[in-house]
Amino acid sequence: MAQTGVVKPKRTLAEKLNEEHIAGMICTAPFTIGFLLFMIVPMLISAYYAFCDFDILSPAVWTGLANFKTMFSEAKFWKSLGVTFYFAFVSVPLRLVFALIVALILLRTTKITALYRAVYYLPSIIGGSVAVAILWKRMFGNDGTVNVLLRMLGFEGKIKWFGQPGTAMWTLIILAVWQFGSSMLIFLSALKQIPASLYEAGEIDGANKVQQFFRITLPLLTPTIFFNLVMQMINGFLAFTQCYIITQGKPMNSTLFYTVYMYQQSFEFYKAGYGAALAWVMLVVIAMFTGLLFATKRFWVYEDKR
Amino acid sequence: MKKIALILALVMIASLCMSAMAEENILVTWWGNQTRNERTHAALELYASEHEGISFTEVPNSWDDYWKKVAADIQGDSIDVMQMDYQYLNQYSENGLLLDLTPYVESGALKIDDVNEGIVGSGKVGDGLYAICIGVNAPALLYNKTLLDENGIEVKDNMTLDEFLALSREIFEKTGYKTNIGYGTDMVFGYILRGYDIDLFKDGKLNITAEDAEKFFSLYETGITEGWLVTSDVFAETAVGTVEQDPMIYGSDPESMSWCAFFWSNQVTAMQNAAPEGMEVGITTWPSADPVKSNYLKPSQFFSVAAKTQHADTAVDIVNFWTNSVEANEILLGERGIPASAATAAGIADKLDEVNQKVVAYINDVVSPNCSAVPAADPAGASEFYNLVDELQEELCYGMTTAADAAARLIDECPANLK
Amino acid sequence: MGMRTTSKSILGRTVYHVLVFGFGIVMVYPLLWMILSSFKPTNTIFTTASQLIPSTWTLENYANGWKGFASVKFSRFFLNSLLISVLATLGTVASSSIVAYGFARLKFKGRGLLFSAMLVTMMLPAQVLMIPQYIWYKKLGWVGSYAALIVPYWFAIQGFFVYLMTNFINGIPKDLDEAAKIDGCSTYGIFYWVILPLIVPALITGGIFSFIWRWDDFLSALLYVSKTEMYPVSLALKLFSDPSSSSDYGAMFAMSTLSILPVVLIFITLQKYLVEGIATTGLKG
Repeated sequence: MAQTGVVKPKRTLAEKLNEEHIAGMICTAPFTIGFLLFMIVPMLISAYYAFCDFDILSPAVWTGLANFKTMFSEAKFWKSLGVTFYFAFVSVPLRLVFALIVALILLRTTKITALYRAVYYLPSIIGGSVAVAILWKRMFGNDGTVNVLLRMLGFEGKIKWFGQPGTAMWTLIILAVWQFGSSMLIFLSALKQIPASLYEAGEIDGANKVQQFFRITLPLLTPTIFFNLVMQMINGFLAFTQCYIITQGKPMNSTLFYTVYMYQQSFEFYKAGYGAALAWVMLVVIAMFTGLLFATKRFWVYEDKR
Repeated sequence: MKKIALILALVMIASLCMSAMAEENILVTWWGNQTRNERTHAALELYASEHEGISFTEVPNSWDDYWKKVAADIQGDSIDVMQMDYQYLNQYSENGLLLDLTPYVESGALKIDDVNEGIVGSGKVGDGLYAICIGVNAPALLYNKTLLDENGIEVKDNMTLDEFLALSREIFEKTGYKTNIGYGTDMVFGYILRGYDIDLFKDGKLNITAEDAEKFFSLYETGITEGWLVTSDVFAETAVGTVEQDPMIYGSDPESMSWCAFFWSNQVTAMQNAAPEGMEVGITTWPSADPVKSNYLKPSQFFSVAAKTQHADTAVDIVNFWTNSVEANEILLGERGIPASAATAAGIADKLDEVNQKVVAYINDVVSPNCSAVPAADPAGASEFYNLVDELQEELCYGMTTAADAAARLIDECPANLK
Repeated sequence: MGMRTTSKSILGRTVYHVLVFGFGIVMVYPLLWMILSSFKPTNTIFTTASQLIPSTWTLENYANGWKGFASVKFSRFFLNSLLISVLATLGTVASSSIVAYGFARLKFKGRGLLFSAMLVTMMLPAQVLMIPQYIWYKKLGWVGSYAALIVPYWFAIQGFFVYLMTNFINGIPKDLDEAAKIDGCSTYGIFYWVILPLIVPALITGGIFSFIWRWDDFLSALLYVSKTEMYPVSLALKLFSDPSSSSDYGAMFAMSTLSILPVVLIFITLQKYLVEGIATTGLKG
């Protein structure tokens, strides 16, 4: 590299390209181009549809704020928004705690942990398949596995998991927690990144395992926890499959996810303009929460200040 | 990176070449299952073997996916022949997306002489003919014949609503099996009202009053009060509308099962296949205050030609082939419903299996002599309306509302464009 | 003393394995159910759903499924899926890692804005972009080819991966960069020689996710591919079921079982690289 610098004009170019602010733009250019080429246009089109009456089959007609007015007066909109908040705020923390615990358990490297990791990751692979949908209904059914187990534990009476508005939601939350695989993988690789020397030093200082976890592992893991939290929260708000394949919002819209409501309006009732308006409202909601999370970042996320 | 670009380029060139090589490539798209895909493919192959220079691009999809894909593609000129459903016919034709077939009928390119006039009429919207029926169906009440035989209970065709209610009570008392009044089957609502001389929609608008709607909802109320209606949690546990998970064949005890199911005549085979071993599926008419007024032959599935097709003549010829070729229908074997053309239907009659012969007999002997004209195709917005009916039905089952209240709300909350 | 630790650790290890294994069964039960159901005669799958082991075993579902549709064998669908998933994943990993490096290590004008744009792209429900994207890609002439399923992924359009890798690079001590810079390494050289080897676990993690997501994605294939012989597995699987008439669940489960095999194999092969992170490369912060 040093030799190429001998020729003068070339050197200035190479140097220029090497300057941090130029290099930064070059490195991020793929995203900049991709964003401008593939994302911005569809996003603008959908933003336009949000102000239109658009049934997919005929040209969109500008209706101004009509979609938003309908939306805010629609009981189903508020209902699905509430359901989605409930789902996101319950399932995301549960999923992350679960993923972290399992990642810690499977951190030790033995031959068999490789298999265990695969086993624990499998549910995330088969995610939204028909088989899961059928089986989930079967497991939480009236005579399903869950009720049989509860009876063995001494609980009397059959719980109608899907039949009651209060419990139906929990079957979806459990499904979401069950698929903790991707967060687990991210935790696993982050845990592997923590230098062993830190633990050695901790041991010399006489810290036990629990102390090591709270003083070394957890602080160093906070950037990953933050990342998982942001991603899973976005995912939680945009959750679709669980509801779509299993409950379809039943009973009485008590499990109607926002995205499923949006999907129903866009593709079943052909109100794609209204659907687009719903999507942009959701974007604003998510952006607000993400902004909030980022604002709290400096209080609890560890940063390498060396 | 270079290699990948090369592969990409090759893939694109290859796909371009493939479409350019044949003289005429016709894109046919439909929804269905594997049986239908196989048979449709075989029939198209037959056509291709008889017509040199014609090849097919086949695009089968599942129902949900089909309508998404078609909605996106139909704006372009890629689609030639597409399967059409009664509930989408108005919407597609009114937007000018389908080809008017009238000139082809007049020129003789499309022969529909052997098709019952009412069936042809169902493909008409305004003055234009936009779809040709490729299978005839009828509403069919399927029931657990084995169970009823064992208990010496008989079911007669053309039951009135009162007879049906009495039967449901009797079965519940003797066997414990409950009744499912077509929960989630959209067309039941309009069917029941037809028995009282009421059309659900008229000129694209809702045509009923709260009192009319209450006639339907009160059936649910009666069933709930008397205890013979399948409870709501059963429906929460199954995928409503799927054959395999219908409470008539899927369930562990009488308490969560129904003795009957409101379906269509082309679903008998599927139901019989999915039923547990030893259960014979019986078939009769949906009950109504006046079965003759309510019942109808339903054109179950159609073929339409896209308005922007570049191959209109060939596309129409394929529809003609589908309607009139006995050989093609010997391959299709009434999988989409009985052939609309009487001549074609007669031509394949002895090729059908036992269950399908039973279906043909049901349509010809039970429904045809005792039915009225098919109701007009649903207006745009109907699916949202039916969704509302479902939701109210659900609330009713949960005891959150009464029949009178549900009926009032149905009129009140009906989608704006139907009011 | 030595004896005590050994017996204690044996006991501990047994408890550990029993628990982890027992819970593992709960995790894979649905999958087991699907696999075993694929060996049941297709019309008994529902009526015998509560029993895990088939009373009669059959391979018929595999034969029926493998036949495919309209004379296109299922093997063709697998090849299509493989082509799409591999190319899209390579693109995702390559482009996301370099973009992530830019975000994590280099200061430049508009970085904050660009980073926010990346986050925002993740917040719009995919379903709502379907139609606008179709309209736009159609203008680009991409309908009917795999372009829409592959090309965008070479431009790091999935914020998730960029953010994931940015996060990882942030975790690498900056003194390594400084040392390399003093040795005469260029900004790009640092990425290639220093950062890339250190983020292998992140690359693998991202690669696994990307592959699985591409493998499972049927929505874009549905819109942009219009020929049976170009269908990927995910889309072909949906052809087995038609809720309104009979669905061939047997064949569907059989082919679903086959379709998760590649994913599982890839996971098992690659997961050992996850373990060899910075901890094993001998770098001590």
